[in-house]
This record gives sequence, C-alpha cells and structure tokens, in this order.
Amino acid sequence: MPEESNPKIDALVAEVPQAAEARHKPTGTVIGKASATEREPNSSERFCFWLAPGVVVNPFDIVEAEQMETTRTFGLVTNIRQITDAPSHLSNYISNDFGSVESVPQTPRQGVNVAEVSVLANDREPRGIYMPVQSEAQVRFADEAGIHIALGIDKMAEKERIPAGVIEMSNGTTARVYLHRDYVLGPEGAHVNICGISGLATKTSYAMFLIQSILQTVGEADIAVVILNVKQNDLLVVDKPARGMRPEDHELWERLGLKPKPFQNVRYLLPWGKDTQTTGLPNCFGEPPDQFQLYAYSLVDVVGNRAKPGPGVNLLIRVPDPWDTLGALVGEIQQGIMNDEPRWKSVRTWNDLLNGPPLMEKGIAQKVGEVGASSVGRFVRVLRRVVRNRQSGVFVEQRNPRKAANLGDEIRAIKGGQTTVVDIAKLTDEERALVFGHIIQEIYGMYAEATIDERADLPKKVILFVDELNKYAPRRGDSQSPILEYVLDIAARGRSLGVVLIAAEQFMSEVHPQVVGNCSTKVIGRSDSSELSDDAYRFILKDVKAHLTRLDKGELLLSHPIYRQPVKIKFPRPAYQAIGHEST
Amino acid sequence: MPNPLEGLLPALEVMALEGQILPATGQAVEDLMRPDQDEAYDRVRLGDDLLLDTKIEQPNSELYVPVRMIHRKEKHLFRYFLDGSARTFYIGNVVEGDRQSPVHVAQVGAAVVHRDNAGKMHVVRSEHRLVLLMDKDAVSFGDKVERMVHAAGTHYLFVPLKEADPLSDGVEAGKQPRSRAAHKANWQMRKLEHQIARELQRDVGEWLALDGGLGSEYVKDWPEGKEYVGVVKSSYKELKFCVKAGRVRRDLNVYQLLAGLKAGERTLAFGLREGAVATWYVRIRGPEHLEFPLMGVLRVELANPGREAVPSELINEISGALVAERCETPHGKDVRWHAHLYAIFLAEQAVKNGFVSTEVIKAGLRWPVPTMRK
Repeated sequence: MPEESNPKIDALVAEVPQAAEARHKPTGTVIGKASATEREPNSSERFCFWLAPGVVVNPFDIVEAEQMETTRTFGLVTNIRQITDAPSHLSNYISNDFGSVESVPQTPRQGVNVAEVSVLANDREPRGIYMPVQSEAQVRFADEAGIHIALGIDKMAEKERIPAGVIEMSNGTTARVYLHRDYVLGPEGAHVNICGISGLATKTSYAMFLIQSILQTVGEADIAVVILNVKQNDLLVVDKPARGMRPEDHELWERLGLKPKPFQNVRYLLPWGKDTQTTGLPNCFGEPPDQFQLYAYSLVDVVGNRAKPGPGVNLLIRVPDPWDTLGALVGEIQQGIMNDEPRWKSVRTWNDLLNGPPLMEKGIAQKVGEVGASSVGRFVRVLRRVVRNRQSGVFVEQRNPRKAANLGDEIRAIKGGQTTVVDIAKLTDEERALVFGHIIQEIYGMYAEATIDERADLPKKVILFVDELNKYAPRRGDSQSPILEYVLDIAARGRSLGVVLIAAEQFMSEVHPQVVGNCSTKVIGRSDSSELSDDAYRFILKDVKAHLTRLDKGELLLSHPIYRQPVKIKFPRPAYQAIGHEST
Repeated sequence: MPNPLEGLLPALEVMALEGQILPATGQAVEDLMRPDQDEAYDRVRLGDDLLLDTKIEQPNSELYVPVRMIHRKEKHLFRYFLDGSARTFYIGNVVEGDRQSPVHVAQVGAAVVHRDNAGKMHVVRSEHRLVLLMDKDAVSFGDKVERMVHAAGTHYLFVPLKEADPLSDGVEAGKQPRSRAAHKANWQMRKLEHQIARELQRDVGEWLALDGGLGSEYVKDWPEGKEYVGVVKSSYKELKFCVKAGRVRRDLNVYQLLAGLKAGERTLAFGLREGAVATWYVRIRGPEHLEFPLMGVLRVELANPGREAVPSELINEISGALVAERCETPHGKDVRWHAHLYAIFLAEQAVKNGFVSTEVIKAGLRWPVPTMRK
C-alpha cells in the first residue's frame, strides 16, 4: 500500500534543493579538481584533488569541494605530493642526459601537484552528505564562513564561543577559531593541555591568551584564576600592560573580538625566602610586584588541624616506599599532631619533629608505633634534606601570620574576577610539589566537599594553570602519589565541579594518560618526531604529525571535540608585560 | 555511467539475430601487436626504396655531420607533435551456414599536442573512433551490419576486413583474417593522424613532428610549404646506403652506417621516393650508455615535394632541434624510450587516455543473450 503523503514533509523536501541552492554560492577561484583513481579512490573520509598550475596550497589549509545536491564538502589539506609520469628516479636521471646537471628539458616532465584532504563536514542540513567527493568536482579555498561550517563553529551560539586564535591560509584568508564553552569549562568536557618543545615562549603565552579570552567572553565575575609561575618572573607582571605591542597583535586581538588588556584584580603570592626575615623581600626572580603577599610553611601549616587539614607531610616524602613504611610513619605523625596526642604535644616546629621526641632522642632514631627505628631514621634524613638542607626558605619554624600567609587560607579566599598568581619559580622540586599539591587539594576540597550553600559563595568556575604538569602527574612512577590522585580527580570530575585545569608540558607522552585523556582540548606546539610517535598523539593523522615538527613560533595545532580534525592556529602575543618574552 | 560502446550494440544484435555467434572465450580478447611491428610498417612504407643512393642535400657531402643542439629557448622549431594509437579486440566469430567471419572491435585515436614557449604541453585536438571490423561479404547481412554502425554516428566506423590498404596488405600477418583486423585498425589510425595533420592550423615556422615515417598519403596529399617531419624510432634494418667519395662507391648497411655515428651527429641525407622525401639519421643519445649501436638513433623523414636539393643548413637545424628533445624521455614507460621523443609520447598518452579500459570493453561488448541460446 502506498504511503500517504504528508504535506508538511513534502513542503520541507521541496525546500531542500532551494535552500541548498541559496546556500551554495561559490565565489572563490577554482584551484583544482577532485581526482579519484583506481589505486587512490576517494572515500567518505578523504579525497584528493589536483592543483591548477601555480596554485600554492599548504597543509592545514581548509578547502571546499562541490558535492551532490549542490552542497559543499569541506576538508583539511593534510599533505601535498607531486606526481610525474617518471616510473623511477632512474628514469629522471637518464632523462637528464644520463646525469647531466646542466641539461634543460626541451619538454618538461609531466607532473601535477596533488593535495590529500581529510573530510571535515558537509553543509547540507540537517544531515550532511558524506558520499565520496566525486572525481572532477571543483575545489576552492574555503572562506571564513566555510571554515566555520567545516569545524562546526557555525552551530555554536555566540555566547558559547571562546576565541581561540585564527587560521591563516595560503591564499591569505583568515578565519577566527572558537572553542565551545561547554567543552572548555564544562559540563560537556573540560581542561586544556598544551605541549611542545620549550624555548618558543608559546605554551605559556597561549595559556594566558586563552585564560584572558575566557575571562573576556564568559564573564570575569564568575571565574577565579589561579596561576603558578614556574619560570623566572614571567608571570609576575601580568597586571601591567605590554610595552610596545605590535600593531598586528592589536589587530589580531581585535579581530578575535577581544581587548588587548592585562589581567585585572591580580593577587601575587610569593614564597618566603631565607633572607626575607632581614630584607622583607620574597624569594622570587627579579623585582617583586608592587603588591604581593608572602606565604610560608611551618610544620603546623603542613600538617594542619582537624578543622583545617594541611597538605600533609606525605607531599614532602618523594622517595620509593614499596612497603608503605614511611607512609605509616607519616600517618602516625599527622594523626599525632592534628589530634594533639600526648606524645606529639611538644612537636610544633620542624626542629621539634626532626630533633626531638618521639622520633629522635639524643640524636638517635626511635621506634614509633609499629615503625622501626631504622625507618624513622630514614624518614628524618629525607625530611631534613627537604625542609632544612636543600630548602629555599619557604619552610619556617613558626610562621608569623602578619608577615606570611598560609597558602591554603589564601586559596580558599579566591573570588570570582580575581587572578591569583602563586610564584614557585625559585622553589625546589619537593617544595613545588607541596605548593601545587596544596593548591589542588584546597580547590578540590572547596568544590567537591562544599555544601549547596557553600557552593553559592564560591566562584562558579576556577581555572588553574600549571606548567610542567608531567612532574605532578607523570605517566610512569608512583601511582599512589597523593598529588597524582588529586590531579586525576580534578581531571575526571573537574568538568562537573567547575574546576578547569589548563596545563602545559614539553612532552605529552610523559603525562599520565588519564589526565591527557580527560583534557577535551589539546594544543600542540612544535614537537620532535620521536615524541610524536608516542601513543599520546594517535589522534593526529600521520601526515599532519610530520608538519608538527616544523611549526613556527606562535603556531599551534588545536584539537577540540567539536572539530573533526585538529587545525593550525595563530594567536596574538600577550597583552601583559611578559618580561621573559618581550624581547622575542 | 552510460555504456560508451552503446552505438555498436545494435550491430551486434543484428549479427546475433541473423547469424550464429561463437563468442570469444572470456569475452573480448585484445589482439596484441608484435614488438617489432613498427619496423615491419616502416618496411611497408619504404616500398622499393631499400638501397638509398641519392644524396639530396646541398652543399654538405660528408657522411657524418656534427650538429649543434638547439633548445627551444634559442629557437623553438618543433611546436606540434602528432601520434596515434590503436587497440583491437576479438569478440567472436559470426557464422552463417558454412561461411564465417571473425568480428573485431577496435579503438583508434590520434592526437596532436602543442608545446608553448615555456615547454608546457596542451592537447590541440584528440579524435577517437570505435571501429567494428568484419568480412561483410562472408555473411548475407553484412551490409545491414554496416548500416547499423554508420547509423550510430561519426564516432563509429565499420571497416570491411577484406578492403585493401597498403599497410594491411603489406605485412604478412595482414593476410590472415584473424590477425588482419589489428592492421586494418592501424591503417584507420594512420588515416586519422593524416586527417588531423592536414587540418591542423599552424603558423609558418611552427614545425610538426609526426610519429613514424611519412607514408605515401602524406607525400601525395600535403600542400607544399608545410613544415613537418616524420620521426622513425624503429627503422627497417635491411636498408642500404650508397656513399660516393669521388669515384669510389661504397655500399653500407645500417649497422655500418650507424656504427660511426656519434651522439649529436647526423648522417648525410638521402632521397626516398624519387626525392619526394629526404631521410637521414640523427643520434640523439649514446651509444656509450646503451646496449646496442642502433639504439638512440632516429631516422628523420622530411617532405620534399619539389624534389629539389634540401639545404644542409635546414637539415642541421632540424637535427639540432631533435637532439635537444632527448631530455626528458619516456624511460621505463616504453621500451623504445632511447629513440622516442617525449613530446610524441605525450601525444600518444593523450590518445590512450581517451580510450575506454579493457574492463569496460569486456563488460560493454556482450553478445545479446537470445543468440547465446541458439
């Protein structure tokens, strides 16, 4: 029995070709035609096209090809090859008069440049056409609107867009690229991971640009930012406008709909140093910011109390402990001091802990609970090295609250619209781990353990930027590390909690795969081929990987859940006074 | 995609209805040419001119003449290149009573390409024909089949297998009905080449290089003043040359003549066809890199309708331009690469690219099913 026609559906069907007609108004120059061969057929995933003579196309350009029903299929150029009719290099050698380098061909060898394209999208609504691009289909450079369709940006509402940079194509076309808010700040996804070799001043600059972009587009009032400064005094003047900003950078900021302005409402938390008591100056590189707050750790700050636990002594013990002997001792110490147990009542300073009972008596290690004296001795040696012999000065016997703050208290005081920069550039590795561990512990605690009423007082989102993530969430090593546990928790639950991690490192391969896997957005700068051969980069096409080894300074590959393939972007230089980068 | 052989199907239908068909095993089977076929055709074209004893150039009388390579950037002599190609498929036998005829389908084509001053090639004209070949007198419905093919349009040709032509009649294999079709197709190709060459619009000074020797059709039908040469890469090896030095006369065979020919040299020009064609050899490469002294040598044929002495300067110029053609080569694509001009190879490719594939021929040329049941 024939189906009855539905007038509404008929009307919709009738509209489709007209809509496509209206949509498809190719204006650009035809640069080539799609080509399908016996050996290299086009498919739903990829197609090839030959290039008209003289046309220059580069990897990462986005092109559009004519598709059925007057629609367009967009694709990312992943590689360009030259094909000639010479069956072998020997033929070319012989053709040059048996290797004469002076010979000039009377008839140049027939050759053509062929671009390989990975299909991104088709512009038919509501369901795209993913038939293979037909051979002979005309191919053009996509314009900005086309690039937005190709990447799925056209489907993002204005309020969902976070400017992430611009695509610059070989024909001069530029297109703004946006991230989807729900995939950066949650709930659909969260976190940004940035990697690439060091020395190009790109990873940190991009992280700071992206944070600024989020603040300007999503709304500063609802977002608190915590930044860890790990190198020199790079991020200790983020509230000062950049000096001598280039006009092209101004234009780029404005093209992205952003204001080239420094961070506002910035708090600097700088570490106490060995000379701070006498000079009053923090332990940081260069001149300290105009306004800053010092932080330091006494034993009580590290251990904390029952109402306000500290980061824990365990963050300082980063030595192999296969039988958890030191872990058990740390537990004893934590419990003893926090609960004010009689044996531990007298232990209030690092000196008390390292030299007095119950761990030591007359310079000899003592058995504590079930932990033998030799293990106690080992613990004391390790801890003494961290908080005495090799420390930068951040560990103090007694912290004067008027001179130095408790970092945990300061983190708990973050507010929406405020940027907190915590300087750890001069700290040792153990101290850095303590500070980072303390910060994420506090932030995670604030959001994961808050009641509904408490949540109302917190900023809606908190962004934490940390460089050298591989040190805190390594791929290999102590899987029981308390820092790693917190990082994994934030990576996994951050999108629902509102805690966003923007992390950077040289090698993504050295970061714990669960952390990388939970980062919805991945940004990759120039990397070497051995690094790119790691499984962590398997989401990138093989051809595209080869191009990553020669990215220029300021160029990045951006992978985002909305895009079918990563794209190459440029972004404006920071609008704050980036001391270490201004000369570059 | 429509069947590109559709125009031939009515004719096959007629044959199937009117006669009996013995289809080729495994559908259409390509008739492959012998590797030395070009040399055999050269022999046919030469006719009775097997001893060349007339010097036709002036003033040179040296047997070997060094020539200066003339690159197109210096003087762009050869602008047009012409070649053809033919592929023949045996599709079966048609039987009527005790008479029968093999049935072939051939694709023939010819193309001329133009080289601009930058060296870039452009196809100027490319023509293709689908040819049905059979002995139309062998069956009573032969005329009907011919009419059906003609009715299909100018793209289709019907060629009676027994019709005389100089090429098919000149080679031994052309005398056998089964193998004659390939030579008939080749003759159709030559005719198509000739037609394209005649109709090609060129300016004075824009020379045309043809693949193969200048058959009688060129010499007879070409208007005077046209600038063209035939380039023979597989020349007949039994040719002899009579060289006179004063009163001394020496007869040289091809091997003796070419053994002394160095790269970048040409031989003395001789008259062919009572001087209507001037011919000489040019070594464009080797012999030190090649396996055999005759490799790397072209025989050039220049139309000389006036039968006058040809200026040696012109022969030198043509030879110099041909020597420059040695870069690039179709090495690896054609066994005759050592004497093949790359530009002519490209013209050949232009023709072949217009052919339908063997798979399409096999799929598109099926005898009608009712006949199979007969």
